[in-house]
Amino acid sequence: MNVRSTVSPTRCRPTPRDKPRRLGGAHALVAAVALAAAATHALGAPVKTDHVEAELVSAQSALVPGQPATVALRLTIEDGWHTYWKNPGDSGLPTTLAWKLPPGFAAGEIAWPPPRALPVGPLVNHGFEGEVLHLVTITPPADAKPGSDATLAARADWLVCKETCIPDGADLALTLPVATTAATNAAWAPRIEAARVALPRALDGWTTAARGDGDRIVLTLTPPPGAADPGALHFFADADARIEPSGAQSQARGAGGGYALTLPVSSALTGDFKRLTGVVTAERGFGVGGGTVKAATIDAPLAGAVVAGAKPKLDAGPTLDVNARAAPSASGTPFIAALALAFVGGMILNLMPCVFPVLSLKALSLAAPGHSDGPSMRVGALAFAAGVMATFVALAALLLALRAAGEQVGWGFQLQAPGVVTALAVLFFVLALNLSGVFEFGALWTGSGRPLRHPHADAFLSGVLAVVIASPCTAPFMGAALGYALTAPAPATLAVFAVLGAGMALPFALLSWFPAWRRVLPRPGPWMARLKQLLAFPLYATVAWLVWVLGAQVDNDAVVRLLITLVVVAFALWAWRAFRGGASGGFRVAALLAVVGAVALAWPLLRGDATASAASAPKSGASETAWQPWSPARVADLSRDGVPVFVDFTAAWCVTCQVNKRLVLNDASVRAAFAQRNVALVRADWTRRDPAITQALARLGRNGVPVYVLYRPGREPLVLPEVLSKGIVEDALAAI
Amino acid sequence: MNTAMLHIRRISLLAAVSAATAFAQAPGKAAPDFAVNDVAGKAVKLSDYRGKYVVLEWTNPDCPFVRNHYGKRGMQAQQKRWGGEDVVWLTLNSTNRNHPEYKTPAAMADWMKAQDGAPGVLAVDGESAVARAYGVKTTPEMYVIDPAGTVIYAGAVDDGRSTRHDPRRANNFVQAALTQAKAGQAVAQPSTSPYGCSLKY
Repeated sequence: MNVRSTVSPTRCRPTPRDKPRRLGGAHALVAAVALAAAATHALGAPVKTDHVEAELVSAQSALVPGQPATVALRLTIEDGWHTYWKNPGDSGLPTTLAWKLPPGFAAGEIAWPPPRALPVGPLVNHGFEGEVLHLVTITPPADAKPGSDATLAARADWLVCKETCIPDGADLALTLPVATTAATNAAWAPRIEAARVALPRALDGWTTAARGDGDRIVLTLTPPPGAADPGALHFFADADARIEPSGAQSQARGAGGGYALTLPVSSALTGDFKRLTGVVTAERGFGVGGGTVKAATIDAPLAGAVVAGAKPKLDAGPTLDVNARAAPSASGTPFIAALALAFVGGMILNLMPCVFPVLSLKALSLAAPGHSDGPSMRVGALAFAAGVMATFVALAALLLALRAAGEQVGWGFQLQAPGVVTALAVLFFVLALNLSGVFEFGALWTGSGRPLRHPHADAFLSGVLAVVIASPCTAPFMGAALGYALTAPAPATLAVFAVLGAGMALPFALLSWFPAWRRVLPRPGPWMARLKQLLAFPLYATVAWLVWVLGAQVDNDAVVRLLITLVVVAFALWAWRAFRGGASGGFRVAALLAVVGAVALAWPLLRGDATASAASAPKSGASETAWQPWSPARVADLSRDGVPVFVDFTAAWCVTCQVNKRLVLNDASVRAAFAQRNVALVRADWTRRDPAITQALARLGRNGVPVYVLYRPGREPLVLPEVLSKGIVEDALAAI
Repeated sequence: MNTAMLHIRRISLLAAVSAATAFAQAPGKAAPDFAVNDVAGKAVKLSDYRGKYVVLEWTNPDCPFVRNHYGKRGMQAQQKRWGGEDVVWLTLNSTNRNHPEYKTPAAMADWMKAQDGAPGVLAVDGESAVARAYGVKTTPEMYVIDPAGTVIYAGAVDDGRSTRHDPRRANNFVQAALTQAKAGQAVAQPSTSPYGCSLKY
């Protein structure tokens, strides 16, 4: 066989374009050496670089004047590395060939093999792994002289990447005799033929249609009758800035039996986009004329209109940032609106089940005889308001300080610690027992009973107490709103909380300030005792709820521990009352012992030792197997696979969350809608502190739950309102 | 309770707007704010530069495309020119700290010094968080932000698209955007397809 190949490796260095020509001067010598080599090796040694082996190979043993012949640039790429297709995708560079041919010879463009989508982190490149043949048609001139040699020289350049990228290349040459007939080159013809068969080809018998619809394009491939299912499809656009390489492509069976592939339009789209051109690969191949075609060329006029799409979300990695928190809108109007809403919210707090019983009794007590109408009352009103506002601001300042110290906390943080839940349960239980009449608590908080020695200090303290008892109600009902306020700059945050306190203090302060207003209050009478007892029940209900929260945070043992603590507390109060009522000193000892016992019982809960072992997740969602536990990596994996993901950021202590879950998310029709669209359901449970969830919330511009997010393939995530309805969820799903 | 729900719903609307703008980074949209520490440890926020033009340059010293721009001094020339015209040039290395190409802030500072570069701010974003917020795909990749905080250019540095062209003779899109915007004109080419190495998330 008279095939000679010469190579002159000069990788990684740009070569002056004329160099191969000058090499021709040494051609005789090189050819002689190569001829000697060819006696034992049908083709000369390929060029080896660090990660790639390159050579030019021919399907024929000779070139025939005037007849096109196929040669190929073979790149054999080290495992794990890749080179690039003509449109390299999100990054990279296509491989290039610059030919230096004898006079009259012509080289065609590279006939690109079908590319593969190669994910690199959240990005996607289009390229090749392993061995790849880049086919090129070489046409010798009709007057090429048989018997002479033709040296086909080319500079090949490629970028080869794994975790790093290396610009690489080689000067290659292939010398073939010119002859009147040519035999096939047994070494390469079969592989070159296989590469030719695998080239993308037109889908004969199929109809293709492309329709633009805003930031997406639907490519519909309709098979001829009887064609088998091609399996998963992937479209590769010929040129960049057309289709987003890392955007998910979703596939559906359209009306009329077509396969509809929805493609996200590139965020860098500029200029006209009138034809959709590229390659579509099929997992199982397209049925075409009895055979199968693995990759098809697409060239379809683009109907409809397209606009540049959104950049794909790249927050796929398992590490979430703290730094790049969503910037809160800093314009003036939302701040004023936030203040107004906080003020109204504060007034509404008076009606919350934790607060209403206590403050309403305190208000009614104002109407009792013995209350002066003088300036002292007004100072008391101011002291109460100051107590409320100062406590709210102090809580907000504490939260801001914790966050500044690097703690991942949000509003509702009070209820994320089992110790706080335990303490609040005991406090509410004691208040409820008091209202039930089990014991007298003194004047501090209801304002009834004996005269006060420091009335203004007591008014301030009752303001503090009002906030403490209100706090378990602010987190579940207004957690998200207050959490949002916390994303504002610190002075604005503190202002919002101060105004919230002002709103809460206002009704009671007005009653204190204007004696005349108190005339509208009903006259005191025996009914007040009964009302007081009645109002104990909202407090008992609050206790029941806190016990449930503790159960979700820790475990059943903690619930029992808390319940026994409450029984012992009740016993202590009963014994104390008996002693105060004239019983023997033994009752006092019993009461004190019971208090010690209660503290000892509750101590593991208060210290936080009783948090469940790290392995056991909070239990609020455990019973519903449809929901997977949240992690950033899981959401990333699912999104990367093109699966729509619905994330429920929730907490056991969040009432709005529980209402949404029971009335909407667990509703049969909503569950069916999720299932129908194959939406992955993920639940992020913030019942206990979880810095990863706090950071994820911050990225969404939130600082509290509930938050409902629908991640859609190739589009921006959709944040749903905090108060869900079936319609809201179904509309969101319809837009996937 | 209806009023309370309404209250929550209204605030949630405000929050949704802020969440939606957080991921807008296309030309004409507000540039997402971010906070990073510069290589000297000083905290820097994008919003600190409201009122000035800001260039964001994503870089990676191990990327041959970046090396071409620095090796032929094209990037340094742009940094110096625009730094002298009161433009804040913010160079970020968002290579993830788990990636072999990650550079510590000190190493980045040394590298930039060796390149004789002059970015106004040089910062390491080891969680790739800022890059994610902007949807950055490559190094080098560039953004130009106007004094109102709006992205006016996003994409490639220039039309070179290689590891060996001469950047000083290429059509530099950042230079064009800044020149046009400062002259009060609309940016003729507000978006191009970035080229280079993949950002190492």
